[in-house]
Amino acid sequence: MSKETTIDLACENICKHFSDFTAVDNISFTIPKGSFFSILGPSGCGKTTLLRMLAGFEQPSSGDLLIKQQSMLDVPPNKRPVNMVFQHLALFPTMNIEENIGYGLRRQSVPKSEIAERVAAVLERVGLAGSGKKRVEQLSGGQRQRIALARCLVLNPTLLLLDEPLGALDLKLREQMKIELKLLQKEFGTTFVYITHDQSEALVMSDQIAVMNKGKFEQVGTPHQLYYQPETAFVAGFVGDSNRWQGTVESIASSTVLVNTNDGLSFKAKVMGDKAISAGNSVEIFVRPEAINVSRTVPSEETDNQLVCQVETILFDGAKSQIIAVEKESGGKITVTLPQTSDFANLQNYDTIYLNWSAEQTLCFLDNAESNGGV
Amino acid sequence: MKKLNTLSLAIVLASGLIATSAQAAEELRLLTWGGYAPKEVIDLFEKETGIIVKVTKSNNEEMISKLKATRGAGFDLAQPSQDRVASAQKAFKIYKPMDLSKINDSQFIASMLAATKGQSTVDGEVYAVPHVWGSSGLIVNRATSADITDYTDLCKPAYAGKVTYRLKRPTLIAFAFAMGEDPFAAYSDVEKYTQIMEKVGAKLTECKANVKAYWSGGDALLSLMRSGETTAAMAWDAGGWKLNRDNADITFVAPKSGALGWIDTFVLPRKTKNEEGAYKWINFVMRPDIAAKITAAAGNFTASKGSDDFVDAKAKAQYQESFSAKDIDNIKWYPPVPAGLEKIEGKILDRVKAS
Amino acid sequence: MSSLRTTSTFKLGMWLLLAPLCLWLVLLIILPHLELLVFSFTDPEKDSFTFGFYQEFFLEPLYWRTFVRTAVMSIMATILTLLIAFPVAFYIAKMLKGRSKGIVFAMCLIPFWVSELVRTFGWMILLRESGVISNFLQWSGLSDGPVELLYTDATIMLGLVYTSMLFMVVPLVSTLDSLDDSYIEAGYDLGGTNWNVLREIVIPHAVPGIVSGCIIVFMLSLGNYLTPVLLGGKDSLWFTEQIYTQFITRFNWEQGSAFGLLLLLLSSLIVWAGLKISGQSFAKTMG
Repeated sequence: MSKETTIDLACENICKHFSDFTAVDNISFTIPKGSFFSILGPSGCGKTTLLRMLAGFEQPSSGDLLIKQQSMLDVPPNKRPVNMVFQHLALFPTMNIEENIGYGLRRQSVPKSEIAERVAAVLERVGLAGSGKKRVEQLSGGQRQRIALARCLVLNPTLLLLDEPLGALDLKLREQMKIELKLLQKEFGTTFVYITHDQSEALVMSDQIAVMNKGKFEQVGTPHQLYYQPETAFVAGFVGDSNRWQGTVESIASSTVLVNTNDGLSFKAKVMGDKAISAGNSVEIFVRPEAINVSRTVPSEETDNQLVCQVETILFDGAKSQIIAVEKESGGKITVTLPQTSDFANLQNYDTIYLNWSAEQTLCFLDNAESNGGV
Repeated sequence: MKKLNTLSLAIVLASGLIATSAQAAEELRLLTWGGYAPKEVIDLFEKETGIIVKVTKSNNEEMISKLKATRGAGFDLAQPSQDRVASAQKAFKIYKPMDLSKINDSQFIASMLAATKGQSTVDGEVYAVPHVWGSSGLIVNRATSADITDYTDLCKPAYAGKVTYRLKRPTLIAFAFAMGEDPFAAYSDVEKYTQIMEKVGAKLTECKANVKAYWSGGDALLSLMRSGETTAAMAWDAGGWKLNRDNADITFVAPKSGALGWIDTFVLPRKTKNEEGAYKWINFVMRPDIAAKITAAAGNFTASKGSDDFVDAKAKAQYQESFSAKDIDNIKWYPPVPAGLEKIEGKILDRVKAS
Repeated sequence: MSSLRTTSTFKLGMWLLLAPLCLWLVLLIILPHLELLVFSFTDPEKDSFTFGFYQEFFLEPLYWRTFVRTAVMSIMATILTLLIAFPVAFYIAKMLKGRSKGIVFAMCLIPFWVSELVRTFGWMILLRESGVISNFLQWSGLSDGPVELLYTDATIMLGLVYTSMLFMVVPLVSTLDSLDDSYIEAGYDLGGTNWNVLREIVIPHAVPGIVSGCIIVFMLSLGNYLTPVLLGGKDSLWFTEQIYTQFITRFNWEQGSAFGLLLLLLSSLIVWAGLKISGQSFAKTMG
């Protein structure tokens, strides 16, 4: 009983078919109260359709949609306890800030004096006290973002839907807004459903992330789970950066496999996913650049996977700088994170480096022709 | 409004263009009434003389306005009614005197030619020769409205909503005659004329309930009568005869107080570019056989001597049915209109419409 | 040196580009109006300055009543056109997509492929006592005698609205097209009913289109000549008819000019008042 009351949204076998394709294919999930839930996926994966069904702009072809145990199927958008922050915010240009925020309250026939109070209060909470009389075009991108949030939050919705609202901002502002959004969500305690194709936005802000591909959820989990324990090759490829090889299984020993890659390298890897792997299967393996140890001298200890490489290019990006290296014998390429130690300060192209990492960090998925997503 | 002032400019520009192109092929620009220059006649004329005739259809007021706007340019030959020649010439100087030696006067009915010459003489110069003549009177559906014999009968309560006439000066004149006045005699006496018109205006206002609609163009009149929506009208004789061909019950009736007779004439606009061509056209269309073709097209008889022999029997029979010898004597021919009367009439017409 | 030359050729190019506009303005707009102005203040008999033709308008009730009637009916026609055109435009701009949008839009255009005269005659054939609709009503037993639908003010209104539809639909469609669907969705999402969304989001957005459509339709109706003359009844007076009569049948160009300028002045005044009331500026609407 107590568990059930904390569920704000439950989707049960939701499907949405359009005349020529299936946008949402039999999805079920629940979102607990007060959490920040993201749906992450490439464009065209059906995440927008799913969100629009939650808002009520699209009707599911089948399945049910419950908010606080109430089915929403027959409830029109304007009667649902759900509000949405649109991709381009959709702040009404013909109204000033105050009128924009008060729009929803006026619909609920809240007395005028109370509207004024609540609008002022919410403006204060989003840090824009006193800008009620301004026009939309007088505000900066970040400020508009906050107004769009305030316009929804002032109505105390059960669920707030956000449709890639940060997409239009420049990088710096986007980084800042990520943090701000997360803080606002914490402060208001409202359940957020956030859709995005930007994995960094999802990872930073979310309590739970659903990775969506071709109308289905590939995996639902915490950012940590998705990053370190992806369940499918798609998730491994889509969330975070990875080195990626196609290869064939040479041999299997318990959960570790030996894989020969198509460009002639040989790695020990950990079997992931729920599909059984046997020798001779073609597989995909993923290694994150930061999981690879780099040294300029021959390492003393033996590890599962070792390579001797030559630096081809250094991509300098401050703390996120990377080395693209070439394996000497096969000519295969690999990306590793540039360690921020003095050893590497004078690293040059064509220098030799020694790479090693454990089989634990090498994720092997059965290659099925369908899981061909990626970044 | 914008249309009107650009109109006058457009006329100037257009006439300039036409003037330059006229040098290429000889051309006669004719400003006339519908039916007065049928295609057949134009083709025959072109075959004989090589002159191409360009026709602009119009009415009295528009002809004068157009020529006033261009100070007599843009056309080579025009055809206003006889009563509108002298006054318009005096007021606006838009016509050019006729060189009567260029006209073959043996083709004209002598009495009509003499009358037109007399009425269109200004400062000793003759400005017009007659072409088509006709009359205004009553068109009546004899099956339902045989007792309508004069203009004022149109106001009988029995015909409420079944009557149509124009809201124009001929209606004022006609009603004045039917009410026992003589408006033509009062032409020179502004005060008397105003008095008559006020009286007529009151009568027309009273009669308004009987009117289904004021007709404005010949086609509108014909369809009102043909469909039976109206059973009596004040209109032109030719309209009545045209309807008679389709429905024997309907015909033109000369009213007791007299039909109003008009003669449409030939005049030269002051800046005519093809005077020679104009004389050729006049002499051509006054030939009896050609004139009969025009009678067939327009429905009215011409001032061409001997053309009656070529006119079809039906038209002659219709004419004789409408006009007895006494009716012909009783036709009231329009005398030249002195300037200024239009303003008096205009105000009366406005008031009738607004009442 | 070379930069000097380029600026002078640039200037020459500018003038060549502007020439048609200037010619059009001067020859077809300014000069005729100046001529009208001179006419309207000249007493043709004494060839001297007079204010009489303007006085005539205000002193003769017939004239100013005709103007007021024309203006009131034009305003009514404008409002009616707006009420009918708005749903049509909304349907075209927001409900239809792709091909069907083009087809419905073209259907609005079709009536304009024939001249106004023919269109008006079309209405006369439909509406007259012996016309199509009257016959249908009798045939279907809805009426036991011929019905006259022509020659009333309502018929004029019908003709005016029909003639003006397109000129209202086009600006409305283009402003409504520019309204992103997300504004409408946001309106519903935040709890708005159909009426709320229309009233607070769609209409405020469409105001420039509404105003420019209304100005065009109002001016067209006010300046219409054929429709009121042909469809109107015995009592139907239209101000343009007065101007035509003064110019053509009375040969009174001076009075006609004064009426023409008064029409221009008074209609501009009405448009100005309309803009003031709706809180719009002319530049904003046309820009």
